[in-house]
Amino acid sequence: MAHPLLAGAAGERHLLLGNEAIVRGALEGGVGFVSCYPGTPSSEVPDTFYRLSPDGDYYFEYSPNEKVALEVGGGAALAGAATLVTMKHVGVNVAADPLMTLAYIGAPGGLVLLSADDPGCHSSQNEQDNRIYGRLAGIPVLEPATAQECKDMARDALLLARRLAQPVLLRTTTRVNHLRGAVEFGERPGPAPLAGIGKTPMRYVPIPAVARQRHGAVLSILDAAREASEASPWNVESGAGDVGVVASGISRAYLADALAETGLEGKVRVFDLGFTHPLPIERLAAFLASVRTVVVLEELEPLVEKELRALAQERSIAVRIVGKGELLPRTGEYTVQIVARAVCAAAGADYAAPETAPATGNLPMRPPNLCAGCSHRAAYYAVRQVFGDDAYYSSDIGCYTLGILPPLKAADFLLCMGSSVSAGSGFARASGQTVVGFIGDSTFFHSGITGLVNAVFNNHDVVVMVLDNRTTAMTGHQPHPGVDVSLMNSPHAQLDIESVVRGLGVNQVWKVKPYNVKATMKALEEAKAAKGVRVVIAEEPCVLFARRTLKKSAPQAAYVAEQGEDTRRVVETLACPAFFKDENGYGVDENACSGCMVCVQLIKNFKARKRSA
Amino acid sequence: MQQRTRIYLTGVGGQGSLTATTLLARAALGQGIEVTAGEIHGMAQRGGVVESFILLGGWKSPKLGLGEADLFLGFEPLETLRGLPYLKKGGVVVSSTEALPPVAVSLGVAEYPELDKVRTAAESVAARAFFLPSKTLGLQAGAVQSGNFALLGAACAVGVAPVSVDGLKAAVRAFLKPKLVDINLKAIDLGVAAVNNQ
Repeated sequence: MAHPLLAGAAGERHLLLGNEAIVRGALEGGVGFVSCYPGTPSSEVPDTFYRLSPDGDYYFEYSPNEKVALEVGGGAALAGAATLVTMKHVGVNVAADPLMTLAYIGAPGGLVLLSADDPGCHSSQNEQDNRIYGRLAGIPVLEPATAQECKDMARDALLLARRLAQPVLLRTTTRVNHLRGAVEFGERPGPAPLAGIGKTPMRYVPIPAVARQRHGAVLSILDAAREASEASPWNVESGAGDVGVVASGISRAYLADALAETGLEGKVRVFDLGFTHPLPIERLAAFLASVRTVVVLEELEPLVEKELRALAQERSIAVRIVGKGELLPRTGEYTVQIVARAVCAAAGADYAAPETAPATGNLPMRPPNLCAGCSHRAAYYAVRQVFGDDAYYSSDIGCYTLGILPPLKAADFLLCMGSSVSAGSGFARASGQTVVGFIGDSTFFHSGITGLVNAVFNNHDVVVMVLDNRTTAMTGHQPHPGVDVSLMNSPHAQLDIESVVRGLGVNQVWKVKPYNVKATMKALEEAKAAKGVRVVIAEEPCVLFARRTLKKSAPQAAYVAEQGEDTRRVVETLACPAFFKDENGYGVDENACSGCMVCVQLIKNFKARKRSA
Repeated sequence: MQQRTRIYLTGVGGQGSLTATTLLARAALGQGIEVTAGEIHGMAQRGGVVESFILLGGWKSPKLGLGEADLFLGFEPLETLRGLPYLKKGGVVVSSTEALPPVAVSLGVAEYPELDKVRTAAESVAARAFFLPSKTLGLQAGAVQSGNFALLGAACAVGVAPVSVDGLKAAVRAFLKPKLVDINLKAIDLGVAAVNNQ
């Protein structure tokens, strides 16, 4: 039976993750083409499309990076397909180049770009506010706050994108992507028919003469979008009184709960903004004029706030605007309590935060850790043995960033996806220091290749270790161009990393199994003694992926046969989470041990035996 | 208007607390209760702390703040202690007594708090606090993973949230694989009994 997201009829109600609701909404909007690069908190959108693709009537692909995903999706939308492209917020930086041009030439089939932002940096290197991209590109922005809205706005964004023949940004935040709520389904019409461009190069090839003309067109389309925003059912006014609140994004949910808790429900005027760019300025001007004070609620940057301040100045509206400041921080996420305090302060009402139990200090932490048996730990162990603290470690984005933690300490700096090779090259050239860069397989295909091209071209002096665990582990085991394609549910071709590396002109290449400690250290010693661009490929499937997808099991587990100083040293330098200490000394938890047998190779005190169960 | 309840759930990556959260949310929806739930799970696979939230009866937010949880579900006692500031004064705690020691504790470089300390801390804020050996109850029912359902059964039995034990069982029947249903129904009963005996 087909999945409810595909087969569910109008009127059905299901509990959905925000990201699943976006999938259903896109389907109801007639999506025919989906491309992406995964990244938390966006990943469940493409992963759901991928999982359902054998039964789906759309095309789906994982692209190697966000720029390619948006270019592929942009091409599909130019050919007339209703298209969804998904990524996390920093991915939009990678895709910014095609985004800016797509806004100029347009996308007749309809193109929605999902940007999943991460206020609070739950799983990201920054908390940049991608609503700014909507303003930079000059395209409409919709921001859902509930599961139902995720579904409905994904649909409406696609319909709007098609009507305006212009990309639309669907902007979510982690809380929205990962909330769950009831969603009532609408009709699912099937993919929208192609509405392509034909042969009209003077419209779709942005040579300067075309681009100049299209910039004006972007602004005219924005005017049309503003009319849509004025009339949008996603921009809703309610309440009464002389204090107003303009809220957008998940802050709308916090506001609703704050008003319910403080008894202010109905006593302040609320302007809920779901269609947040362009703003419905006529309605907002009337709203500003109708209140004495207005509080602006938006996480991160004061974008709506500044537009409202400009609007009040232009229209000579005397209203006090309360925005970013002591009560409404510019960093991190808002909460019901933050919102309640700010609104009460503006309304002259008392607010007392709930009493809480005191936090218990000094509790043992649970820092995220490389899994027991993770091949990255084995690789890092070997690197530390060979290079120690004498080298600088240029890290990259993936599970292996966790190598930053002691005792592995295998990360000294990091910029972004793919930067390990290029930033490592620059660091080595400027400092004269030995630099070892680490890059995962998916990240290598994402944007490590161009860095390697540069390193070869400019003859940089850098060791690059490709930590090839055969999958995109960090974000949930998505495929990438290097994976075993026999595991995928449609025909694909597989790229071999070693051939790519050699094809780029690297001639000092080693390929090792990181579980073989001696061979890995030997390769690293040889790489250390050499000069120029050196690539060590350490290949071993992610231990979770091996167990769950490849159905591999290890019949043996490690155990501690002998205590002593050497045993302590290995426990402390390898720091495998399967190690423990009790009244008998150190041991290996058989249930946690993956059977990688790295510890067994280090000293004779660790031995292997058949598992007891 | 529906009764409004906020539930905080905390556990350790790999325990299945998010699956339990989803099932409880489905049980609520099955009873016609408005529900919004949320979770932070970026590091769930890697042994980190996993927090989730269920808000029933018309709340719009997918999370709750300190001092706001009417009902507190701790899937692991250390995490119960750590998460306690989320409990509303006068709220109810349902917690497992069985520890999953963090790596630092396993290696003897940090100390795991005594269960009595967890209990005392919980009782100092909570109107009622129930502690049960959920993992053991799960094993008794037939599978260690069912321990989470013992905890859910206990949570529904304490009468704070409008989700009933029958509603929870209906969700187990509707959403779990057939071969897991009986074991988990039994685990729920064991959890309910554990609460009724305290």
